[in-house]
Amino acid sequence: MTERINTIISNLNLDTTELVCEALDNIIKLENLSQEEKILLTEALTAIFYHHDFGDTNDLERLIIRTEKLIGNFGIDVLPFLIEELINADSESAAYLGKCISFSEVKGIEAILAAWEEHDGDDFAIINIIQALASFTVPEVSKAAPKLIASTRSNSPHVKAMALSTIGVLSLNISMDKLDDKVRKSMFNAVFSLLGDRKPLVRQNAVKTLGKMHKKAILTRDQEGKVHSSFTAMLGKDGEHNWDREFIVRHEIEHYIQLFTPKKTLADRYKQSFLILNKHELCHNTFHYEVEAPFIAKKIKPGQFIIVRHSTQSERIPLSVCGWDAEKGSIQIIINSVGKTSTEINNLKPGNKFADMVGPLGVRSRVTKYNGTCVVIGGGYGVGAIIPTARELKAIGNRVIGVIGARSKNLLLMVEELKSACDEVIITTNDGSEGMTGFVTTALEEIMNRETVEHVLAIGPVPMMEAVSNMTREKKIETYVSLNAIMVDGTGMCGACRVTIGGKVKFACIDGPDFNGHKVDFGELVKRQKMFVNEEKRAFEALEI
Amino acid sequence: MREKRTLNLTNKERMNLPHQEMILMEAEERVCSFDEVPIGYNHEQAVMEASRCLQCRKPECIKACPVGIDIPAFIRLIEQGKPADAAKKIRETNFLPAACGRVCPQDKQCQAVCVVGRRNLPVGIGDLERYAADYERKYKTLEYPDIPEDTGKKIAIVGSGPAGLSAAYELRIRGHQVVVFEAFHRAGGVLIYGIPRFRLPIDIIDEDIKFLENIGVEFVYNMIIGKILSLDDLLGEEGFDAAFIGTGAGLPRLLDVPGANANGVYSANEYLTRIYLMEADKFPEFATPLYQGKKVAVIGAGNTAMDSMRTAKRLGADVTCYYRRSIEEAPARSEELKHAQQEMINWKWLSNPVEFITNEDNFITHIKCEIMELSEPDDSGRRIPVATGKFFTDECDTVVMSLGCSVNPILPATDREIKINDWGVITVDGETCETSKKGVFAGGDAITGGSTVILAMGQAKIAAASIHDFLMGKTKDKEEESLEMV
Ligand SMILES: Cc1cc2nc3c(=O)[nH]c(=O)nc-3n(C[C@H](O)[C@H](O)[C@H](O)COP(=O)(O)OP(=O)(O)OC[C@H]3O[C@@H](n4cnc5c(N)ncnc54)[C@H](O)[C@@H]3O)c2cc1C
Ligand SMILES: Cc1cc2nc3c(=O)[nH]c(=O)nc-3n(C[C@H](O)[C@H](O)[C@H](O)COP(=O)(O)OP(=O)(O)OC[C@H]3O[C@@H](n4cnc5c(N)ncnc54)[C@H](O)[C@@H]3O)c2cc1C
Ligand code: SF4
Ligand code: FES
Repeated sequence: MTERINTIISNLNLDTTELVCEALDNIIKLENLSQEEKILLTEALTAIFYHHDFGDTNDLERLIIRTEKLIGNFGIDVLPFLIEELINADSESAAYLGKCISFSEVKGIEAILAAWEEHDGDDFAIINIIQALASFTVPEVSKAAPKLIASTRSNSPHVKAMALSTIGVLSLNISMDKLDDKVRKSMFNAVFSLLGDRKPLVRQNAVKTLGKMHKKAILTRDQEGKVHSSFTAMLGKDGEHNWDREFIVRHEIEHYIQLFTPKKTLADRYKQSFLILNKHELCHNTFHYEVEAPFIAKKIKPGQFIIVRHSTQSERIPLSVCGWDAEKGSIQIIINSVGKTSTEINNLKPGNKFADMVGPLGVRSRVTKYNGTCVVIGGGYGVGAIIPTARELKAIGNRVIGVIGARSKNLLLMVEELKSACDEVIITTNDGSEGMTGFVTTALEEIMNRETVEHVLAIGPVPMMEAVSNMTREKKIETYVSLNAIMVDGTGMCGACRVTIGGKVKFACIDGPDFNGHKVDFGELVKRQKMFVNEEKRAFEALEI
Repeated sequence: MREKRTLNLTNKERMNLPHQEMILMEAEERVCSFDEVPIGYNHEQAVMEASRCLQCRKPECIKACPVGIDIPAFIRLIEQGKPADAAKKIRETNFLPAACGRVCPQDKQCQAVCVVGRRNLPVGIGDLERYAADYERKYKTLEYPDIPEDTGKKIAIVGSGPAGLSAAYELRIRGHQVVVFEAFHRAGGVLIYGIPRFRLPIDIIDEDIKFLENIGVEFVYNMIIGKILSLDDLLGEEGFDAAFIGTGAGLPRLLDVPGANANGVYSANEYLTRIYLMEADKFPEFATPLYQGKKVAVIGAGNTAMDSMRTAKRLGADVTCYYRRSIEEAPARSEELKHAQQEMINWKWLSNPVEFITNEDNFITHIKCEIMELSEPDDSGRRIPVATGKFFTDECDTVVMSLGCSVNPILPATDREIKINDWGVITVDGETCETSKKGVFAGGDAITGGSTVILAMGQAKIAAASIHDFLMGKTKDKEEESLEMV
């Protein structure tokens, strides 16, 4: 029996990959192997990996494919042998063995980590193990990150240096950006802190590794800045150390410092921070924010809106803009907690940032000179939303009356701001706790009775906008309402925001948000807003737990 | 003298070699996950498939490729066991090989004209392209191109779909400074928010974006050009020397039938965007909701329809396709249609939706269709669906309308100098891809109204070459001017 395998194995000593592969293929064809044969074969395979001169990675891969087949067919495993060799190898062989082991990908990593566990404390073995890790190109090698980071705090400068070098190589080879943010950060910190190590060898490796990490663009701007100032300081420390040995570090720094020199990119100019500058409560569950967004602030017009995403996992929600300061580069928004997303936003604080903010979206509100009075009506966040339009209407010489509706006095908001934008403001509350008792329509009726109204704009809850439209329809008073349809992109790409206007389908985000109130199918809008009630309820309840 | 081939075979023998099929995940398994369906070739299969190529002296396949990849050359390298070099070869003309190998309609392009296809199945050019690209990704053999000295020219790219990305790449490797402005919070266009992950894993696109960033292309997100900055702003105050428009065709066409605005009726764009861009499949961990019932009706039979059906299936629904013509006319890529068929979709050919029936809360409950039949072929051989006056009604709680797109009007609407045709498509010079506005070029779905990734890339390449000429010519003009002044 062993005869047959001996013949084949003797062929395995041939030196062209072609012939070795052929011999292996013959073995694969064998029916079954005895235990003895398996041992012989495993040793032979290990020898091939160890001694064979591979032309290139393709040769190696072809051997690996066959070895995998052998493992599959007969349960032969060369890994333990390779690992055992690795532990005792000299540094050149260790690099080579690492490469062989790395072809077993995930299994190889696990075997190496197990060996690491077993040999902890044996610096000689650990150095080989760390070096072998550098051969891996599969993302699972990131499993070794915690141990690598820990080794940067080893007592042996050689272990430290090898850990640094492997971190550097891995940074180049695998996508470190797939690593957990925390791990990536502590990896940077580990490397960065070794810039201050006692041994020049370690410092030199730290510099090199940071250079590699930079090449792969895995450092943040802040981190790059920190490195740059350390490098500058280290270059300046002439003479403080033994010149001969310090030279290698300085030489390395001179090579890399260019990379870290902060450069202004073209795109920097367009990166808005979306930083919350300040926040205050307007009434229960409703907050006012000022947010840094210089480009939006420069371009936005009354009636336009924005879409925000406060974190990378949140949904995109549309919001009106109730004011802006182009010079300061900020915009103002009001958010009323009604569900998961608005509640989460209202938990943000000054200093926090929105992940994304896109705008200005939609068409601006109509602003021209009218002969008759303009009435702007707001409810809820709508009170804020009407202010920019009211201000412009007034600025070009219109008589503007503002009307606010709220259930009760304690829910009123932005009254003073609206007053400053209008000639007159009428407040209505359902319970009569402030101003006129009733609804915004009560006030509108009164105004219509006493003067000629030519233009009405209403923003707020759908029933309010519908009631206003119904009241002005008969007298044919131009009436605009701002439709708060459910949206996704806000650019006309999805059609989620479709509304029916005079029997025609329109997209609220690009054709609106303002539409002729007399033509809007309000019934459909209300029902479409409830499209996701069940899902939203689920999300909101999950939030409260 | 021609190089010796790895396998010593006559052309006739090569033509008779069996075509290698990529290994697929089992249909039952794949409808439970968003993992990629084809697993790909292994080394042996790739070499075998590559051996089928005849290495034609006048290869038809190159002519049929919109970007003119040197197909026989890269196939030869695979045959020689040098997939990394093959990938490098492809990259000379196409910098998105992993994506193109997966989504290009090879059956209508290079593989349609392959000589081997006259007697046997054509060479699996797409699968081989994918193999080389995957090898490059797996073993990180990608080499960065050398970027020439800065030319001092700045170019604004609008949109980060395949067209915008290609234009950015081509201009950057000519040494210009390039900034890509994207409306969404993520780059890739349809590759990210349309084409499903089980066809094109999202990591691939992210890696390609990272590659562009690393060669110095800059990206800015949340910027809708036309709204936050106009083309005039970019070319004026912002100091860009030229602009490229690659804004795609993102305006969904909808059915104009009763109930089309019912709750539960989506455009394919909305449906796919909610799932792939906003990750609604992970709701509520990701906050974007999706109302998806148990019986999903998808209308249409193009690529987007296939993608919607197979997505709905993966979310656990019973899915039916409604199309007013027959399977022969279905415009989808043949592979997609085949995969959809394997995944247990129900098919209602010759069915034209005429009404979406809703309950009192406006939620869809039924779809009503008219049965169609095909006319005799007309002069051009086309058979037109005609109404029969017979109807049927099926239960359903979700509808995805997949009827194609028109061009998004935002940009042309905000710049009168950009001319569009009656269908809203931006008109360009056929040779240079320049629009009617000086210094502004365009490519991709924005100038075609919807086509393919590779055509978008091909146009972007032409546009990039014209932009380069335009900019470098401009420098010459200036020099000449100053000479004249002297
Ligand atoms: C053009 C426009 C401007 C807007 N401006 C503002 C603003 O300035 N401030 C503000 O607080 N809100 C504004 N909204 C409404 C805001 O977008 C919604 O309140 C928000 O999407 C709710 O998200 P959520 O996750 O907190 O609530 P969800 O859980 O999604 O919903 C909670 C409840 O709110 C209702 N709802 C969901 N979406 C909307 C919607 N788009 N409009 C109205 N009701 C909705 C639902 O029916 C549900 O019952 C605006 C909407 C539009 C379209
Ligand atoms: C579901 C689906 C499946 C498909 N399957 C295939 C397939 O298998 N094979 C194939 O070849 N093709 C397929 N296609 C078609 C292919 O995706 C498109 O032809 C291609 O993506 C067009 O590229 P583009 O760069 O022109 O536009 P897009 O990919 O649409 O990209 C345009 C980008 O511009 C952005 N943008 C738009 N307006 C602005 C603005 N004003 N300012 C800033 N940014 C803006 C958008 O947000 C988007 O990111 C498919 C399409 C879809 C929808
Ligand atoms: S046409 Fe077919 S056989 Fe000829 S070179 Fe192209 S892929 Fe090879
Ligand atoms: S929000 Fe998508 S089209 Fe209006």
